[in-house]
Amino acid sequence: MNLIRWKGNSLLDPVREMERLQDEINRLFDFDRGESGIGLFDRAESPAIDVVEREDNYLVMCDLPGVGLSDLDVSAANNVLTIKGEKKGSRSTKGAKVYRTETWEGTFQRTVSLPSGIDSARIQAELSNGTLAVTVPKREEDRPKRIAVKVM
Amino acid sequence: MNTKELETTDKAVRYNRPLGRISEEEDGVVLLRLEMPGVPKEGLTIDIDGDLLVVTGAKTEQPDSGRYLVRERPRYHFRRTYTLDETVDRNRIDAELSNGVLTVSLHLKEEVKPRKIEVKGR
Repeated sequence: MNLIRWKGNSLLDPVREMERLQDEINRLFDFDRGESGIGLFDRAESPAIDVVEREDNYLVMCDLPGVGLSDLDVSAANNVLTIKGEKKGSRSTKGAKVYRTETWEGTFQRTVSLPSGIDSARIQAELSNGTLAVTVPKREEDRPKRIAVKVM
Repeated sequence: MNTKELETTDKAVRYNRPLGRISEEEDGVVLLRLEMPGVPKEGLTIDIDGDLLVVTGAKTEQPDSGRYLVRERPRYHFRRTYTLDETVDRNRIDAELSNGVLTVSLHLKEEVKPRKIEVKGR
């Protein structure tokens, strides 16, 4: 039995092929790739994150499919948020036939440098449907304040 | 970009391809695991259209306010299509979602399973 990935109708589209080739060449020369926000001990295979700045907090979201609560460790020290753990969800039993693997497994670590002015004591983390959401509140005094201007 | 914005500005809805793993852990059952973080049970649809197995996972709403400082996660809903061959029993397909990983169990038809033939000695 084989599961064959559907290639769509683009197989014979020369324009698409050229674009793909160009993308690949561009990627070869992307030397500065991966420099931004990757910590020293972070592995190459690390989960993708989003960092969103909101009015009174920062939201760090991390895709961790197949990672249970017990395999996950989130810590914050000196304005550095560390997400680490082990992804072992899809390890197969002995003697299993594996047809195709695109997923990775193993330990991972991801560090995020947070700006100053955060309240590290009130950081909250929540894992749901394989997505980790860490809410980092800004300190009260660092939030933007609205100053009412009176018209005389 | 949140999903609401996506629907109005992008007429042809784009999808991200979830990463998968296909294995046969026990004889006759092929497991298709797809990583779809952020997709709740309600957002998931699995369609069998003839020979096509179409898996679509709609993510829960992204935060609509705020400014993205880092954006690496796939931003669209997930969709992936596979072709099933005639050995898969269309009536026995189970699916399970846990921790953002969807496991689809595809049972093979009885007649295509390898049968062991006893060799009798005399």
